[in-house]
Amino acid sequence: MLQATEYQPRPYIQWVARTRDFSAVMRRRELDRTRAARALLRFIQVGMVVEIALGAWMAITGWLQLSVVFMALGLVILFLYPIVWAYLAVLPLVVGRLLIVRPRERRLIAESEGLFAAHPATKIAVAGSYGKTTVKELLATVIGEGRRVAATPANKNVAISHAQFARRLKGDEEVLIIEFGEGGPGDVARFSQTTHPNIGVVTGLAPAHLDQYKTMQAAGEDIFSLADYLHDKDVYVTGESEPLKPFIKPEHHTYSQEGVLDWRIKDIVVSLDGTTFTMTHGRTTLSLKSGLLGRHLVAPIALAAALAIKLGLTEKQVEEGISKTQPFEHRMQPRLVAGAWVIDDTYNGTIEGMRAGLRLLSELPATRKLYVTPGLVDQGSETEAVHKELGRLIAEAPPDVVVLMQNSVTHFIQEGLEAHGYEGTVHVEQDPLAFYTNLTHFTAAGDLVLMQNDWTDNYA
Amino acid sequence: MTKQTVGVFFGSRSAEHDVSIVTAIAAIIKPLERLGRFNIVPIYITKDGRWFSDPKLKEISLFSSGNIESFLQSAKPVAIQFDAGLTLIKPGLKTKKVKIDIAFPATHGTYGEDGSLMGVFRMANIPFVGADLTASVIAMDKVLAKQVAEHEGISVTKWTWCSRAEMDTDLPAVVSRIKKLRYPLFVKPAHLGSSIGITRVAEERELQNALEVAAYYDDRIVIEEGVENLIEVTVPIMGNDDPKTALVERPLSVTEKGVFDFDTKYMNQGKGKAGGKNGAKQGAQGYSELPAQLPNKLYEQARNVALAVYKAIDASGTARIDLLIDSKKQTIYFNEVNPLPGSLYMHNWRAAGVSPVELVAKLLQLAEERHEAQQKLATTFSTNFLKQF
Repeated sequence: MLQATEYQPRPYIQWVARTRDFSAVMRRRELDRTRAARALLRFIQVGMVVEIALGAWMAITGWLQLSVVFMALGLVILFLYPIVWAYLAVLPLVVGRLLIVRPRERRLIAESEGLFAAHPATKIAVAGSYGKTTVKELLATVIGEGRRVAATPANKNVAISHAQFARRLKGDEEVLIIEFGEGGPGDVARFSQTTHPNIGVVTGLAPAHLDQYKTMQAAGEDIFSLADYLHDKDVYVTGESEPLKPFIKPEHHTYSQEGVLDWRIKDIVVSLDGTTFTMTHGRTTLSLKSGLLGRHLVAPIALAAALAIKLGLTEKQVEEGISKTQPFEHRMQPRLVAGAWVIDDTYNGTIEGMRAGLRLLSELPATRKLYVTPGLVDQGSETEAVHKELGRLIAEAPPDVVVLMQNSVTHFIQEGLEAHGYEGTVHVEQDPLAFYTNLTHFTAAGDLVLMQNDWTDNYA
Repeated sequence: MTKQTVGVFFGSRSAEHDVSIVTAIAAIIKPLERLGRFNIVPIYITKDGRWFSDPKLKEISLFSSGNIESFLQSAKPVAIQFDAGLTLIKPGLKTKKVKIDIAFPATHGTYGEDGSLMGVFRMANIPFVGADLTASVIAMDKVLAKQVAEHEGISVTKWTWCSRAEMDTDLPAVVSRIKKLRYPLFVKPAHLGSSIGITRVAEERELQNALEVAAYYDDRIVIEEGVENLIEVTVPIMGNDDPKTALVERPLSVTEKGVFDFDTKYMNQGKGKAGGKNGAKQGAQGYSELPAQLPNKLYEQARNVALAVYKAIDASGTARIDLLIDSKKQTIYFNEVNPLPGSLYMHNWRAAGVSPVELVAKLLQLAEERHEAQQKLATTFSTNFLKQF
């Protein structure tokens, strides 16, 4: 489970503290016995043996010397070893992080600041609570049609990932696209100072990482420190995120389904094959067809097209670039399963993403619509409100069947559904893994299934 | 709310024993587990007729790995108690009783689908899925089924039948009846499904061997004319008083022998001559055209003939009606009824918009509705008859 939390002590300790039955908690994967995992296991095993030996010695000595207290203490140490080591498992990580990893990371990050500063490329930073990876991939694909582009890989978006990205650069890239994965106050400001972006894109604001930020205001302020760094020049902000609006300044460019810069958007068509629309600017018209799914992606696609034109790509290159964009794995990814369309959006982890997905579900035709979700994690004090809101969004969509995974937020979603008069079928699944692996038992030809978010074992 | 207990009965003393295991586990138990509304109790009937019940029997790996033999050696057979219901008695250090609220038979062929199990459930007076006793008996006896269909004015190909005893004692009489039929002929055991024991006979010299093959499996044998310009279709149906069809399906897998035999259906994933071509899809029993590409009128006629047969034999729950079509004459002939199609024909229902979970849930609902209706019928009454003795 520690490995499942990517060796982060805090979420692991939180999981240990709230788990009551450890007999069947690891369902989705086995331990990947990497070198680090083996070393950690060995440390725990040795620690356990030492504790058992110590407890046994104290118990026997106490018994022989008729010291009830000593004997009792020994027995306590002896029998509590599983609990003690469930917690102490993080000890080498904390120590190692303090003494080895952090200093090494600090050195690499400091070095990368120089590499980014010296790099001649146009540097585009992408920040926001959601939609960052999609926008980054879109920009990379489209601009890559006419410029040498390098982008941070997958969802590697924290300072050390940026540093490793900088070390791999050849130096001849014309455009760098860097995703900013904020996790707590001050992150985006630090990323900006290290990577020296020239252009900033802000994709949206939603309750995320509130365990660290505490409030949406704090998260918004951190995200907009990117605009501060750029002195509000060349900052592109989505116009489709309500919580962002108080942060938008007149100097910022907004992008939306209406348009971006001087481009106007019309004729939007969304289907399971993708999204098509046209963009016009004066006498110039771009006919765009993307494999990406959903009306909410029109604005990011348009932004990618407009920025690409701004960076000197031809209209043909832009159209070709957009035509090459395909759904990313687990992000609004459609697939045909036994006659039913399943849209896999299991990487989605924000209420805004849920809103966009449910809008898509509502828009697409199907004989029967199913919506599957466990809810959202890391919503902090907003947990109840966010999940009741999710219930409202579902009730307004509304799918014929809602499948919820039994967990700590299920009842909030159910309350939201009831409060907004949802009349379809609600199925609460006790075994999410069994459900996902047997999804075809629930589907028939003509069905449309939207699966949003997925909780790993440590959240269940 | 207490969950009802569904007993899934499978295996049994049948040539289709192994097919039944797949039907029970893949098409019934797994979707029922996902439905989450019932306790599911598997009851496995061995080829020698012993009954076992254990949660491990819900996993196909126990059977596919061959570990079933060692499992059976250590397990103890269950007993049945009729106590105004059906209760399984599991022996052990502490005898355990499991009351079955609804039976879901998944047996194919003899000692199960043929009405045998339905008799047990009727005696126990519990709801059970699928055709009732009478319909099962008729459906599983091709002789009876053809006689009923003919009587109801439904077309069947020219045919005759004989018993094994008649073959042994008066073969010339049998042959003389067969001589009135036109070759090619099909010789079939009257009670088996899954195309077991069927032979296509192109000329007279092949006849005796075909009769012997059929007689090896059954004591009643059907001999019928083949249909020219043949299109074979099958129609799954579900319902009690108001049955509905799924899609008309055209199996395309035909062996070199011209028969859709057991191996082609179940062992080669249906990869016969026509497998996979022309957009055909692989169903539970191999490649098929789903829905069958027939002219609209013929497609509708096929559905109507299938429904007529379903009603004629008083089927309920579910069944699959096989039809033969002479594509030139546009004539539809009733071929046979399968009261418990392999894997419930869930691939067809799924294509028709019914998910496996919905399918099993609906079948259980139909079972309960039929049982409830039957409870309203008077079967006993008070008389003074005994007082005279």
